[in-house]
Amino acid sequence: MAAEAAPPHLELHGLEKRFGATRAVQALSLSVGKGELIGLLGPSGCGKTTTLRMIGGLMPATDGRIIVAGRDVTALPPHRRDMGIVFQNYALFPHMDVAQNLSFGLEMRKIPADERQQRVQRALAMVRLEAFAARKPRELSGGQQQRVALARALVIEPSILLLDEPLSNLDANLREEMRNEIRDIQQRLGITAVFVTHDQAEALAICDRIAVMRAGVLEQLGTPFEIYERPANEFVAGFVGRVNRAAGHRGADGRLLLGDVVLQGTGHAGAGPVTIMIRPHRIRLTDTPPEGIGWNSATGTVTRRTFVGDLLSIEVALGPASLLVEQHTFAGAVVAGPGDAVRLAWRAEDTLVFPASPAGVFPAPPAGVFPA
Amino acid sequence: MGRFGLLPLLVLPAVAVNLLTFLWPMLNLAGLSFREGMPGGGIGTDFTMATWRDLLADEFYLEILLRSVGVSLTITGFALLAGYPLAFFVHRSDARWRNLLVVACISPLLISAVVRTYGWLVILGDRGFAPSLLRGIGIDPPRLVFNMTGVIIGLVEILMPYMILSLLAGFGKLNQTLEEAAASLGAPPLTVFWRIVLPLTLPGILLGCLLTFVLTISSFITPKLLGGGRVLLLATEIYDNAIVTLNWPLAAALSLIALGVFGAAMVVYGRIARAAERAIA
Ligand SMILES: Nc1ncnc2c1ncn2[C@@H]1O[C@H](COP(=O)(O)OP(=O)(O)O)[C@@H](O)[C@H]1O
Ligand SMILES: [Mg+2]
Repeated sequence: MAAEAAPPHLELHGLEKRFGATRAVQALSLSVGKGELIGLLGPSGCGKTTTLRMIGGLMPATDGRIIVAGRDVTALPPHRRDMGIVFQNYALFPHMDVAQNLSFGLEMRKIPADERQQRVQRALAMVRLEAFAARKPRELSGGQQQRVALARALVIEPSILLLDEPLSNLDANLREEMRNEIRDIQQRLGITAVFVTHDQAEALAICDRIAVMRAGVLEQLGTPFEIYERPANEFVAGFVGRVNRAAGHRGADGRLLLGDVVLQGTGHAGAGPVTIMIRPHRIRLTDTPPEGIGWNSATGTVTRRTFVGDLLSIEVALGPASLLVEQHTFAGAVVAGPGDAVRLAWRAEDTLVFPASPAGVFPAPPAGVFPA
Repeated sequence: MGRFGLLPLLVLPAVAVNLLTFLWPMLNLAGLSFREGMPGGGIGTDFTMATWRDLLADEFYLEILLRSVGVSLTITGFALLAGYPLAFFVHRSDARWRNLLVVACISPLLISAVVRTYGWLVILGDRGFAPSLLRGIGIDPPRLVFNMTGVIIGLVEILMPYMILSLLAGFGKLNQTLEEAAASLGAPPLTVFWRIVLPLTLPGILLGCLLTFVLTISSFITPKLLGGGRVLLLATEIYDNAIVTLNWPLAAALSLIALGVFGAAMVVYGRIARAAERAIA
């Protein structure tokens, strides 16, 4: 994407954080382009907040360097880093009204009063809170507090914007609205931003690139498309989106087998036990499967059918494996029920093959589909 | 019964106790101040304004009143200066240690103020630990006991637990993320303190100051012992008149003045606290 071509604005070199024996962040290297929105995505406890706090100077790094626009800021205290931070719990100053909250950072920068007022007004307009300038934070709803926090971080025109799970305290509807608002504003201002989240949909929706982390380690860095379609490993495939997971085998002759069905897949080509992963909505139920190269097909038996409104999820036993198939519902569709034999078809490129992970290394659900 | 139902009944015991043990004696005290005092502690039966007239005409008592207020404010100020960093440290320490530290801070209350005062006499006395320490580092020690200095040192230490407890109670609003937010917006540490920490801890500061002030005004044992009879304050004067010279009407009148000072302190506290509440909450 375009952002990748831009010169790096924020660089992390071998960033490391240890708490006693815990390596919360391990040798993390990243480079973020000017104006890019990069997501730090991973399960709770994987080191996202720790990484963000090190970038913002709120926590010293154990090792490694942080470079902003070519300048090493690793040793700078937070008040000299010029970064706007949006905290998970907003951290609005309770004893100041909205305008004073916004004005604080400008006062610190010794901006003259009249210009300060103009910029506060502009920032309030940006988040559509002009009418709330005189309110105290506790007199605002969660979404409004969130917008004040965003405006307060942006009004100082920081070189980098850091957001730590900024939407996690909002309810679902508001979350989607706010994430788009954050994205719009970020693009309009062309500001470099790091967005921490454990919500893969949120990351996919608004980030230019996503860094997927697990247990302090960067697992994959890529565009949302790459992360979703070409996951680097089983963990990324399982964490981003819903996916079927089945144990298979690749013979010395290169043939990929799921039970006794021969498949075409993409990814790991080495012989031996493999893990085959297929996203449920990429599998079709069809009486006339497409023939030839690029398509897999197999026959199985329906074991369960669940109607969830817009989706129909059908579990199909296929040899030793059980595959979940998701279909969008439409009126008049005739669908198989439990006990029926069905034919499945899916593309070879949707058949992700990874080396089988040694037991215990990868904490996966027992079988079937990863939770989204 | 209205919307509170039987709830008002719950305060009845407290009201009864207060009527019996506070209001009734106070009214007696007020009556006493309008009686004639006889040598040897006797009390006349006739109504007289003599005690109040003498009291209000004598500049000595005005001096004592002003000195008491001044000393109490000074002690309150020192207790705040010494207690605030300590309370802050305790508040910030690990949950594991916090309870232990709180107990350590208030443990002096387990020992009576009289005993602690004697302890200070030993430490501050001419051959005590403090003067020899000063001599050891080459400073000619000033007199530390039987004067105002001793009274201030002793009372600051004795009343600090109350200050620390009040401060800790008021630190609840503090939240480290707020300080981090301020720092990220460009505030150096001292500015963070003035603009964020101090305003948010103001309620605790005000409460601690009120408590320390009132307790200082009313303490008489420590000023008497550490002041060596040379530091004359409102409370020590009340004590002397009530116990030594047995001039009970005068002691009663001075007690009412002390009560007036408490009332004034409450009013000032209320004003400031309300203003602070409006500005902060
Ligand atoms: N101050 C700390 N002291 C000790 N361990 C910590 C501290 N902060 C975070 N950790 C540990 O570091 C790891 C990463 O934490 P964090 O960065 O908060 O994860 P995330 O934000 O991805 O949920 C966790 O295992 C957490 O327990
Ligand atoms: Mg976190």
